[in-house]
Amino acid sequence: MGLVGRLLEAIREVFAVSDRVARARAVEYIEAEIEELENVFSLLVLGSFVGLPSPPMHLSLELMPEMEQELIAMLERVDTAVTPFSHLFSTFDIG
Amino acid sequence: MGASFFFLGKGGVGKSTCSALTAVGLARRGLDVLLVSMDPAHNQCDIFGTALSDRPKRVTSGLRVVEVDQDRWIRRYLAGIEERIRESYRYLTSFNLEGYFRILKHSPGLEEHALLLAYRSILERHRNADALVFDMAPTALSLRFFALPSLSLVWTSHLAALRREILEKREIVTRVRFPGREVETDRIMIRLDESMGEYEELRKAFEDGSRTRITLVMNPDRLSLSESRRIAERLEETGIGIERLLVNRVTAGSKSAVERIRRELSGPELVTVPMSREPLIGIERLEAFLEREAFPLPRI
Repeated sequence: MGLVGRLLEAIREVFAVSDRVARARAVEYIEAEIEELENVFSLLVLGSFVGLPSPPMHLSLELMPEMEQELIAMLERVDTAVTPFSHLFSTFDIG
Repeated sequence: MGASFFFLGKGGVGKSTCSALTAVGLARRGLDVLLVSMDPAHNQCDIFGTALSDRPKRVTSGLRVVEVDQDRWIRRYLAGIEERIRESYRYLTSFNLEGYFRILKHSPGLEEHALLLAYRSILERHRNADALVFDMAPTALSLRFFALPSLSLVWTSHLAALRREILEKREIVTRVRFPGREVETDRIMIRLDESMGEYEELRKAFEDGSRTRITLVMNPDRLSLSESRRIAERLEETGIGIERLLVNRVTAGSKSAVERIRRELSGPELVTVPMSREPLIGIERLEAFLEREAFPLPRI
């Protein structure tokens, strides 16, 4: 492979790496957004179990059998809710 | 499927008696009628002078009477949810939830949900009956019963929109991180869609004046009129119409009160029932009253 060929290959590699990095970064943000949306959803449905206002009890109960993971995560979050901002800042790489 | 005739009104105006007279009257016309007591303080057993339960009991050739056992419906419902939790949760999580379920039966809102479950089950089981006559619970509970499908739809549609957003974003992440992998079916979304379908069906049934026919029972007095006006307003907010106003216990001196009701609650058909000379207890007295007076039966 000549010099031009190697140069083109290197440029291609740089673009491929930066594309992977950009995609990974974008996906991380979407994942953080999903996590927050899931928290909102869990709190809306199961809020009464941690003392928040909630929809009519029958709606919470109807969805509850499908929400074991959310229920466990929410109860754990209540335990560790003392530093919610540090979690958020580390997710978005702030500071 | 026959229509559902609901008798609503302030406590003590004669809902139970008027619904019993209607049920007996329709049965005398040769229809197959089921009278359902939805009032937790059941008194159809006193009117018919016989023990009743949540199993329909035949009192005349064309009429069966059933009392909805609200507590039993709540217990059954919670037991079903507990069962589903046990099937889908790990042992420890479901074990930790047992304590919650013991107190859940006292949760506000489950009463009207129990009535709704009972109503759905009755519609399903007795779809061949010509008419279902419902002696309703006290005003507050009845209004919550009628509002529950619409209220539940507000919540479920918002939750479904949020869930859809989560699923769309999850799909993006799966496509990028694991190309080619199939996106899992979301059981929560399936359950939400099912619930929305059920509530939508009930809401449509309540708003359909040919399937849900409401008679607002009242007495010719001011208190009764005030509460009836509030009931009519609340039902209207939920999109449910009243078919008839039935003024019960009308005497010769009630003319101006009836006129006032006609003026203030214009819209539904107004019918009157005279004051009975004797307590209407027992099937013979109910039938004798129907023969003696022109009791206004709903059109079938």
